[in-house]
Amino acid sequence: MKLFWPIDISFDQAIENLKSKNTFTPFDEEVLLFTQALSKRLVKMRQMPEVVALGYWLRKANIMGMQKEWNNQNKGRLIKSRGVVFHIAPSNVDTIFVYSWMLSLLAGNRNIIRVSSKEQSNELMDLILAEIARPEFEKIAKQTIICTYNYEENYGERISEICHTRVIWGGNHTVQRIRQISLNPMANELAFPDRFSLAVLSAEAVMNTNHNELNELLEKFYNDVFWFDQMACSSPRLVVWSGNQKEKAKVRFWSAFENKIKNKQYELMAATQVLKYTTSLWMATETDVKHIENGKYFSRLQVTDVPLEARERHCGGGLFFEYDVEYLSDLPKVIIDKDQTLAYFGFEYSDLESLVNSITTRGLDRIVPIGQALNFDGVWDGQSFLKSFTREVVIL
Amino acid sequence: MTIPYHLTKAEKAPLLLEKLNGLTNLHFEKSPQYRSMIEKGGFQITASQLEKVPFIPVQLFKLMDLVSVPKEEVIKVLTSSGTTGQQVSKIYLDKETSIAQTKTLVEVMKPLLGGKRLPMIILDTKSVLKDRKSFSARGAGILGFSNFGRKHFYALNDDMSLDIEGLENYLEEYKGQRILLFGFTFMIWQYVYKESLKKGYKLDFGDSILIHGGGWKKLEDEAVDASTFNQLLHDQLGIREVHNYYGMVEQVGSIFVECSEGHLHTPSYADVIIRDSLTFEPLQNGKQGLIQVLSELPKSYPGHSLLTEDLGMILGEDDCPCGWKGKYFNVAGRIPKAELRGCSDTFQGGVES
Repeated sequence: MKLFWPIDISFDQAIENLKSKNTFTPFDEEVLLFTQALSKRLVKMRQMPEVVALGYWLRKANIMGMQKEWNNQNKGRLIKSRGVVFHIAPSNVDTIFVYSWMLSLLAGNRNIIRVSSKEQSNELMDLILAEIARPEFEKIAKQTIICTYNYEENYGERISEICHTRVIWGGNHTVQRIRQISLNPMANELAFPDRFSLAVLSAEAVMNTNHNELNELLEKFYNDVFWFDQMACSSPRLVVWSGNQKEKAKVRFWSAFENKIKNKQYELMAATQVLKYTTSLWMATETDVKHIENGKYFSRLQVTDVPLEARERHCGGGLFFEYDVEYLSDLPKVIIDKDQTLAYFGFEYSDLESLVNSITTRGLDRIVPIGQALNFDGVWDGQSFLKSFTREVVIL
Repeated sequence: MTIPYHLTKAEKAPLLLEKLNGLTNLHFEKSPQYRSMIEKGGFQITASQLEKVPFIPVQLFKLMDLVSVPKEEVIKVLTSSGTTGQQVSKIYLDKETSIAQTKTLVEVMKPLLGGKRLPMIILDTKSVLKDRKSFSARGAGILGFSNFGRKHFYALNDDMSLDIEGLENYLEEYKGQRILLFGFTFMIWQYVYKESLKKGYKLDFGDSILIHGGGWKKLEDEAVDASTFNQLLHDQLGIREVHNYYGMVEQVGSIFVECSEGHLHTPSYADVIIRDSLTFEPLQNGKQGLIQVLSELPKSYPGHSLLTEDLGMILGEDDCPCGWKGKYFNVAGRIPKAELRGCSDTFQGGVES
């Protein structure tokens, strides 16, 4: 067990402290000040765009918007925090734990966060620790534990016994593993398993863009794909083309995208290049795969179906399955439970709404314009954090 | 003229190209999977030069079974040595390919070992050979090299301890004779050299020649390079002549062995091409990149042209001071593992710590 916060006391002592003060009410003033203080620091981390995005999400206007919506939804209701929320953060998308923690804190909870041991020293953590140590945030500080431990130690069991909500990030394997640890019967649980995401483009809309519009689209698509090396669950891995000018649109889009990546000086790695080459040849042996093309910056695989296995074989790092449909309404037949985010370009709300209504599987939780695939939100995988992190008390 | 290191570039390239094109055609016809890769990837079956022969990554053999003969013709399955839990390569051999491998290995080693079978010490345990139908890389290597020796003695007991008594008796018996030593680089380092050092065994292998392979990865972690290795083995064990070789279970037989100058050489049956590790474009001599290995042997599986994950550099061609012709090169180790970020694997992060 290593405690990042609090410092200089034992885990047992930290657990005692956690309960020493009342929980916050939702959107408490001290919490709002804390989120703003963090936001100001985070947006300055220019070299880490995902951290800047987190800072931007925490900015005053956004949090106030969230508060306003919250107040509207809960007018006349008595809402309290749940108590202790246990967050198990993923090892690789290092900003996730902050989103999870901040939403829980805004709901008023005490928080215990297990971060991955890989994150022993990182700038984001250092910055958070500096901020939480400030005297004006003493109450938050007392109600927060940030730690890491090996799974062989029994801390996961201990925390699961006392928490009121358990949040499991980190994919199927982690979810299955943590679910074997018995949870306080009073607690609820949010689990975030492996997901798969896609983009859909209207070929006509791509052909109708002028140079600047296309560039802007590609900039956004680049961010969606490469901020996390196409390994975030919401990064598009399948690109669906609809409409009549698909072949022309593909040529226009991909050749410009190649230039975009080149200009971004995206850092390629030998192992990833070999992995993409290997995956594409492996996939080529499937009848659903019609054609493969391995470029320096990305690989493209033309497919006629996207079975679950293909989704699971995807290696990230710039590999795209491409699937053609005549109309957007032809898309639902390939959507499966695992599918999370659909990033779109060139469609109207009504098209997208009827798409959602005609999906018969559990698939698709977010439908966002290209460029917002990675934007974290208070509703994720179909669940509202603030709702899950609070409880309603009824007085009759 | 030293066969099979006798062909110059102009002589070798057309001969090898014809054989490799033949193999691409053969596997295209016999392996539906290979055919799909070639067709859907838009590769040329008949290449106009060696650099254009289609190549597939070695890792594919870990992901799928690639075979170009009916299963009933398979007489042996070779597997790579991956660490526990890792997927292993499976290489299917029929009689023809297996025989060709054995024959070629003899040819490749002849210039170093001569035509006569030498007394042979295998710096490993006999237990790696237990299963005769399925071989690990270590087992396959030992079995292949055993043909060069007689009176085989295994220097390690089943528990990996050094059979010092047996070893001393053996050396006494063959005193004054040239002895062939064979083993895997890491095994020799860990269980022969280090063990001797720890226990204070002073051995003298006399007029012996050591052939070893299997890769330097674990020794690199201990900052031991080839010259340190050779020197320490000389000092502690009295081994005077050491030749490393570069080979892999995916291309047994046509291995690349070090000449007297310490350079890995390509025999006439095989070749290497160095490719840019990001674009896979062929590189000039003197530039480091990914090693592609070509071999005319694999007929039962499509392994005649493989992209490895090893980095290497061609030092020259046809002009090595040792007198052997062909490309000569070095191997600099493996490319670093991909560490892509992603939403998954909280659990693994926890266990590794």
